Amino acid sequence: MGWYYIQGILILSGIYLMAVLGLSLLTGFTGLFSFGHAGFMAVGAYTTAAMTIKFNVPFILALLIGGLAAALVSLVIGKLTLNLKGDYFCIATLGFGEAIRLILDNVQYFGGARGWPGIPLKTGLMNVIIFNVIAVVILVNLIKSRHGRNLQAIREEEMASQIIGINVFKYKMISLAISAAYAGIAGGMLAHYTGFLQPKMFQLIKSTELTIMVIFGGLGSISGSIIGAIVLTSLPEVLRAFDRWRLVVYGASVIFIMITRPQGLMGGYEITITNIKKLISRITSLGKKKHTIGGDN
Amino acid sequence: MSTILALKNVTKQFGGLTAVGDMCFDVKKDSISGLIGPNGAGKTTIFNLITGIYNVTEGEILFEGNRVDGLQPYQIADTGITRTFQNIRLFKKLTTYENILTACHYNTDYSILDAVIRNKKFRTGEKKLHQQVQELLEIMELTDRKDAVASNLPYGLQRRLEIARALALKPKLLLLDEPAAGMNPDETIRLMNLIKEVRDRFNLTVLVIEHHMDLIMGICDKIVVLNFGKKLAEGTTQEIQSNSKVIEAYLGEEDVIC
Amino acid sequence: MSAFLQQMINGLSIGSVYALMAVGYSLVYSIMNFSNFAHGGVIMIGAYMGFFLMTALELPFAVAFVLAAIGAGLLAVSLERIAYRPLRKRNAPFLYFIISAMGASIFLENIVVATIGPTFRTYPKVFSSTPFQFGQISVGRLDAIMFLISGISLMMLVYIIEKTKTGMAIKSTAYSIRASTLMGVNTDRIIFIVFGLGGVLAGIAGVLFGMKYTVYPQIGFITMKSFIAAVFGGLGSLPGAVIGSILLGVIETLTAGYFSSQYRDLIAFILLIAVLIWRPSGLMGKITEDKA
Repeated sequence: MGWYYIQGILILSGIYLMAVLGLSLLTGFTGLFSFGHAGFMAVGAYTTAAMTIKFNVPFILALLIGGLAAALVSLVIGKLTLNLKGDYFCIATLGFGEAIRLILDNVQYFGGARGWPGIPLKTGLMNVIIFNVIAVVILVNLIKSRHGRNLQAIREEEMASQIIGINVFKYKMISLAISAAYAGIAGGMLAHYTGFLQPKMFQLIKSTELTIMVIFGGLGSISGSIIGAIVLTSLPEVLRAFDRWRLVVYGASVIFIMITRPQGLMGGYEITITNIKKLISRITSLGKKKHTIGGDN
Repeated sequence: MSTILALKNVTKQFGGLTAVGDMCFDVKKDSISGLIGPNGAGKTTIFNLITGIYNVTEGEILFEGNRVDGLQPYQIADTGITRTFQNIRLFKKLTTYENILTACHYNTDYSILDAVIRNKKFRTGEKKLHQQVQELLEIMELTDRKDAVASNLPYGLQRRLEIARALALKPKLLLLDEPAAGMNPDETIRLMNLIKEVRDRFNLTVLVIEHHMDLIMGICDKIVVLNFGKKLAEGTTQEIQSNSKVIEAYLGEEDVIC
Repeated sequence: MSAFLQQMINGLSIGSVYALMAVGYSLVYSIMNFSNFAHGGVIMIGAYMGFFLMTALELPFAVAFVLAAIGAGLLAVSLERIAYRPLRKRNAPFLYFIISAMGASIFLENIVVATIGPTFRTYPKVFSSTPFQFGQISVGRLDAIMFLISGISLMMLVYIIEKTKTGMAIKSTAYSIRASTLMGVNTDRIIFIVFGLGGVLAGIAGVLFGMKYTVYPQIGFITMKSFIAAVFGGLGSLPGAVIGSILLGVIETLTAGYFSSQYRDLIAFILLIAVLIWRPSGLMGKITEDKA
C-alpha cells in the first residue's frame, strides 16, 4: 500500500466526512432524517464544477458557491416539506434526491446521463483537511450555543420546544440549510477529486450510506460522526480485494449494528479532553480499588 | 385588578365532537385561578387552545387585550404565556441544567454568526444565561440535581423541573396542567407553597388545572368549573363549594337529593 | 383516440403489478408504521426464483410461479425475524427500521450480484406474443394475463382481510397494536402473517415483472415506484395502494407515450413530492392531529 493509495483514501474519507458532519447536525442534533443528501451533494458538485470550468471562478470560492446553491435548494425543499411529520419528511427528501438526479440525467449542458469528464483535479489532502477543521469548529461552536440547544430541544420534544418559544420551523430550516451547504461543499470537492461527474454517482444508496455513517458513529456525537465517516469510507476501500462481497458484508453489518448497538459507537458522547481525563481517572481509581481489595485478602 | 386573559365564546370541535363549547371566562392579573372538572370536561383542551397547540373553531382569546388565537405556539410564548404538561414533556435526554438553560434562550440575542466566531457578544450573553439558570436552580431547589438527566429524576422533581423550565421564559401567565398529579399530600402542600412563592416573586398570573381539591381550595382566588366542555360555574372557593350544580356534577344527583 | 385507449390499457396492466407490490408496502406500514424498503429485494429474489425454477429445473410455469411466490413469502418472513423483530422488541424509533431495511436491501441486491452476477436475464417464453385483438385495440397476451393474475391475487388478499378471523385481527392490529395485544391478539403472529402475505404478493409481482421485462439485481429500484404509488394512495391504506398504483401506471405510460420515456421516472418522483405537499397522507390516508 503506497502513500498515494493511502492519501486517496484519506481524501475520500475527508470528502464524505464533510457531508456526514452536515447530516450529523440535521439527524443527530435536530432529529430530522434525510434520504436526499446525495441530491444536495449533486447540486454542490455540478454548481462548483460549472463555476470553475465555465466561469473560471477560483476553486475555494467555487466550493462556497456550490455549498450556497445546495443550501438554497434545501430551503425551497424545506419550505415545502418541513412541516410534514417525521417519516413523511423522510420520504419527501428521498423523492427530492431522486428527482434532482433524474433532472441532471436530462441536462445536456452538464453531459446528461453520460457524464461530464475533464473537471480539473484541485481537491488535495491539504485543502480537504483545512475545510474539515473549519467545518468541525463551526459545528461545535454552533451546537454549544443557544441556537444549538434549540435544535437539540426540537430533537427531544417538539411540542415543548414550541411552548418555550422556539420557532421550530425556522430552526429546522436553519439546520437543513447548513446541513445541505456542507453536503454541497462535499460534492464540489468530490467533483474536483474524481475529475468526472455523472448523475449516477448520487443515487439513493449514497444518501443511505451517509445516514448509516452518522448512525454508526452515534446520533448526537460529532466525534462519533468523524469516526463513522472515516471508518466506513476507508473500510470498503481496504476491502477492495473482496470486491464482489464487499457490499454484501456492508449490508449485513448495517442490520447487525441496528439490532445490536443502535446507539452507535459513541452513543451520544463526545471525545473531549475533559472526558478523556475523566475516563483515565476512572480507570486508575478502578485499578486502585482492586488493589485495596487484594490487600485486604 | 385588570384582566390579563379573556376567553370569549371559545368553541373547539374535533370533527363533529364539541370538546369545548361557547366558553367564556376572565383571568385577573396576579391572581391564581383554578380550572376544575371531571375527566374529559375539556380542561386540557382549553390549555391547548390558549397556547396555540389547537386552533379555535370559533371565538376569541385575548391576552392583555390583544388577540392571540391564530398565533403559532412559539409566538404565544413570545407574548408571555407558557405552560407545563399533564404528561410531563421535558427534554428527556438533557440534564436538569440543560433543560433550564435551553429555555433561557430568550434572555440573550446573539446571532448564529456571533456563536460561530465566539465574540464578546456571545460570551457575555452566555454568561447571563448561566447566571439565570443558577438562580432558577436555587429557587426551585434543584441545584443538587443539576447534572442529573431529566428522565432519571423522580416524578415529583420532573414536575418541578418543568415549572422551572417554564419560569426561565419570564412569563406573565403560567398555565399548570395537573402539577400535583402523582404527588403525596406532603409534596402537594410543598408545591402549593412553591406556586404562591413563585407567583409573588415573578409577578405571575397562574392558571392551574388540578384534581387535588385541597390544592385548588388552598391557593385559588377564583375557580372555573367545567363539565362536558361547558362552563358549569365560576366564582370564589366558597361560592364553588356551596354551588349545588357543582356538587351534582361531582357527586351525582342522588347525593344532592339526600 | 384508439392510441389513447391503447396507452390506458398498457397503463392498467403495469399499474396492476405495481398494486401487487404497493399493497406489500402498505400492509407493513399499516401495522408497523415504517416503509419497508427491503420489499424491493424480496420482489427481486422472487423474480430470480421464478426464472431459475423455469430454466435450471425446467419446471412448468404454473409450478414455478407458485413456488416462487411461496419462496418470496418465506424470505419476507425470515427478514422480519432477523432484521425487524429485535428492533420491535426494543420499541426502536421508525428510522432504525428504515435503516435496517435499507441494509437488508443492500444485502439482497449484492448477494445476487456476488453469486449470480449482474447480467440481465430473460424469462423463457411462456405465452405466445400474438396479441388479443379488439377492433382497433390490441392487448398483449402477457399484459392481459398480468392484469388477470394481479386482479385475482388482490381479490384473494381482500377476501383474507375482510372475511377471515385473521384478517379481522390484522385490521385491529393496524388500528392499534397495543389495544390488540391487550385484547388477546398475538401480534407476533399477525406480523408474521402480514410479512408472509406481502412476500407472496411480492413473489408473484416479481415473476410477472421478470416476464414482462428482464431480471437483474437492481430490479428493486423499479419497485421504488410501487412505493411511490403506496404513498400516493396513502401509506397504510390498501384500497389507496391499489388506486395509487393504477393511477401511477396510467400516468407513466401516458408520459412515455406522449412526451418521452426519459421523463417517466422523473414524473413519478415529482408526483410523489406533489402529493406529499398537497395531501401528505395521500388520497385515502387519515390525517391525525397531535395530542398534548
